[in-house]
Amino acid sequence: MDFSLTDEQKSRSREFYDTCKDLSKKRPPSLVGFEAIYELDECWEYNMYCAKEFAKKGWLALGWPSEYGGSGDMMNRVLFAEARGYYGTPGVDIFGVQMLAPTLLQAASEEIKREFLPPIARGEVMWCELWSEPNAGSDLAALAATAVRKGDEYVINGQKTWNTGAHRAHWGFGVFKTDPAARKHHNMTFLLLDMKTPGITIRPIPYLDGSAPYCEVYFDDVRVPAKNIVGQEHEGWAVVNLLAGFERSGINEIMSMMRGLEQLVAFCNETKRHGQPLAKDPLVRNRLAQLACELAAARALAYRVADLQNRNEMSLMDASAGKIFFSELGERFAFMAGDILGPYGQVRTSRWAPLNGIWEKMFHEHFITTISMGTNEIQRNIIAWYGLGLPRMR
Amino acid sequence: MDLRFTEEQEILRQTARGFLAAECPKTLVRELEQSEKGYSPELWKKMAELGWMGLIIPEEYGGIGYTFQDLTVLLEEIGRNILPGPFVATTTSTFPILEAGTEEQKKGLLPEIAQGDLILTTALLESDGVFDASGIAIKAAPKGDAFIIDGTKLFVDMAHVAGHIICVTRTKEGTAPEKGITLFIVDSATAGISCQVMPTTSQDKLCEVRFENVNVPKKNVLGTIDEGWAIVEMMLRKGAIARCAESIGAIQTCVEMTVAYAKERVQYERPVGAFQALQHIMADMWTAMETSRYLVYEAAWMESNGLPCTKEASMAKAYVNEVYRNVSKWAVRLHGAIATSNDHDIPLYYRRSKAADTAFGSTDFHREIVARQIGLV
Ligand SMILES: Cc1cc2nc3c(=O)[nH]c(=O)nc-3n(C[C@H](O)[C@H](O)[C@H](O)COP(=O)(O)OP(=O)(O)OC[C@H]3O[C@@H](n4cnc5c(N)ncnc54)[C@H](O)[C@@H]3O)c2cc1C
Repeated sequence: MDFSLTDEQKSRSREFYDTCKDLSKKRPPSLVGFEAIYELDECWEYNMYCAKEFAKKGWLALGWPSEYGGSGDMMNRVLFAEARGYYGTPGVDIFGVQMLAPTLLQAASEEIKREFLPPIARGEVMWCELWSEPNAGSDLAALAATAVRKGDEYVINGQKTWNTGAHRAHWGFGVFKTDPAARKHHNMTFLLLDMKTPGITIRPIPYLDGSAPYCEVYFDDVRVPAKNIVGQEHEGWAVVNLLAGFERSGINEIMSMMRGLEQLVAFCNETKRHGQPLAKDPLVRNRLAQLACELAAARALAYRVADLQNRNEMSLMDASAGKIFFSELGERFAFMAGDILGPYGQVRTSRWAPLNGIWEKMFHEHFITTISMGTNEIQRNIIAWYGLGLPRMR
Repeated sequence: MDLRFTEEQEILRQTARGFLAAECPKTLVRELEQSEKGYSPELWKKMAELGWMGLIIPEEYGGIGYTFQDLTVLLEEIGRNILPGPFVATTTSTFPILEAGTEEQKKGLLPEIAQGDLILTTALLESDGVFDASGIAIKAAPKGDAFIIDGTKLFVDMAHVAGHIICVTRTKEGTAPEKGITLFIVDSATAGISCQVMPTTSQDKLCEVRFENVNVPKKNVLGTIDEGWAIVEMMLRKGAIARCAESIGAIQTCVEMTVAYAKERVQYERPVGAFQALQHIMADMWTAMETSRYLVYEAAWMESNGLPCTKEASMAKAYVNEVYRNVSKWAVRLHGAIATSNDHDIPLYYRRSKAADTAFGSTDFHREIVARQIGLV
């Protein structure tokens, strides 16, 4: 057993950290939390700027085969995610770089790979995920939006919802029903589409903190070239499952929490309550220490998942366990930090808000990780059914 | 990075698993709980033949010179099966001798330990029941070529069968409690030592040890006079990781037994494991186990490679304490009434979670170490 990094990995990691630290000098102060990049123009511009900087170094194609402009390996990707998480640096499109690219590499035709991978690697094209519908959430296969083949086009009608950053994205990938007569799971097709195509209407959904990074997307006779297909026609479900497997390992969020903890520790050391530093309060000490333990546990498990992935092994159970754990740790952390800040825990980013209002933001943003990427209840089903072999309810 | 066990470690694990399954059935575990000794000398001998007591002892002193991480692999199996007796007491007390002992002390004790002829334990806690140096009040006063130890130690693991006791004493009153601590290797047959087993949750033979004017020769000082606390810290750190490894094994058994029972116990015409309310608890038990596992493996790896890991060891201990207690509690609840019977195996694990929790530092003790380590003033 060996948790250490090679010298080469260490120097790579330093490079990732240095670059992200450098980029953070240009970070707009309004960029608080994970989703503001979709919300505010200056944050979106910063996101695009970071993407271009990363692209110059080839870091958006880490772990890709060299024939598509890739370099490095999975471990490099993990180290890069750590550095970005720590500095909260955007620029790596979760949908394009993290999920779609590896899916295309495994499941798309040569033509599709040649067309869509280079713009992702150049940091030019940003993507959104068009999966969920009003009546198809966890049970995604219950989707209703249709794509009807007409000549060398599909004509799409219906509605998608909860699509993160759809109003910013240049392109979207989605699943649509193409064979209404076929049975569930064999009736849908995975398509790539330009978000500027006529017939697409995008409406923001007001999120509970007053922001609007998520959208509803309406399709009214939207024509998509039939060649923009990934996988087989009517067999989009297999592609969905493949892509879902590439969703976030949690390393990024975990490192972001590590940074959050460091900042909170510094805050407690500097801030006086009852005439002494908050850090002297035994309750505060105990709670922060407990959180630090849980964070270390989350990180160790994320390494375990990464280690398996590096060897092209995958434990569905460990990935699900890691997702449940780091996301619920995010909830606990947000609530605890809010408690420690006292009445200031409720102040949004402003001159009154400690730590630029990050913990007020986290009071809302922890739902991202517990609900999306398969709710935590669905993750528990996965562990119970596929991992522990418990009987599946019908 | 490669988080797999080495081939050697896999062999150690398999051997241990097979050996314990055959030699230490739960009938024996129960018998030993009730027995006066609390361990089986025959089994102890066989363990010595397998090289277990000499695992961490270098070959030059009669051991087999494995690493600390190897030891934790073995301990995980011990925890998985449950093995009552002085194995943890002896191995964790061996570390201070390895790291701070004189050549004479090493030559005198280590080969005997490796052969299974010497059981060792450490007397640390006193009436305060705290793990920091402020709890050490028992005096060792110099007298000629010896020291006189006078006072009472509590919660001393298997002291009633130990051949030697490492006794942590106060030799100087000073400003900081960590200053003025001295360790002695005391032959437990020395006049003035008496021992009584305390009744505990795990019936694991924690003892009260009285030292009444016990005369210990100066050459039995372990380490430097007045500077012994650093050795205690090292032992607490290693002991904490060691107990965590044992707990991981126990947690795994709790999860496995619960999942197996839930597939087999039928209520409302279906296995209770088909109820989602239970499935999600079992998923949480499994998740808690996996998060603990890699946290402990990482701390063990650091300790094994001589990397500073005060923070990591304390994080592991504070975290695993709670996980073991919770998982074993859920194991009882998901079995229902049957697992509240002392005839059932799950309570053996549930009760041991209490012992695991206090040994080598409670949750809050370790959290305070973590609090300092993360930089709180
Ligand atoms: C912040 C955020 C960002 C998102 N971004 C995107 C995006 O970019 N693109 C996209 O397509 N979608 C996105 N989603 C949607 C997300 O994929 C869905 O919210 C998710 O799949 C759950 O579906 P639902 O919200 O309809 O809940 P439902 O499926 O209706 O679930 C309601 C409740 O029932 C539980 N439940 C459902 N089925 C089961 C079961 N079998 N066993 C036990 N419990 C069950 C759920 O866990 C939940 O608690 C996003 C969601 C959020 C919150």
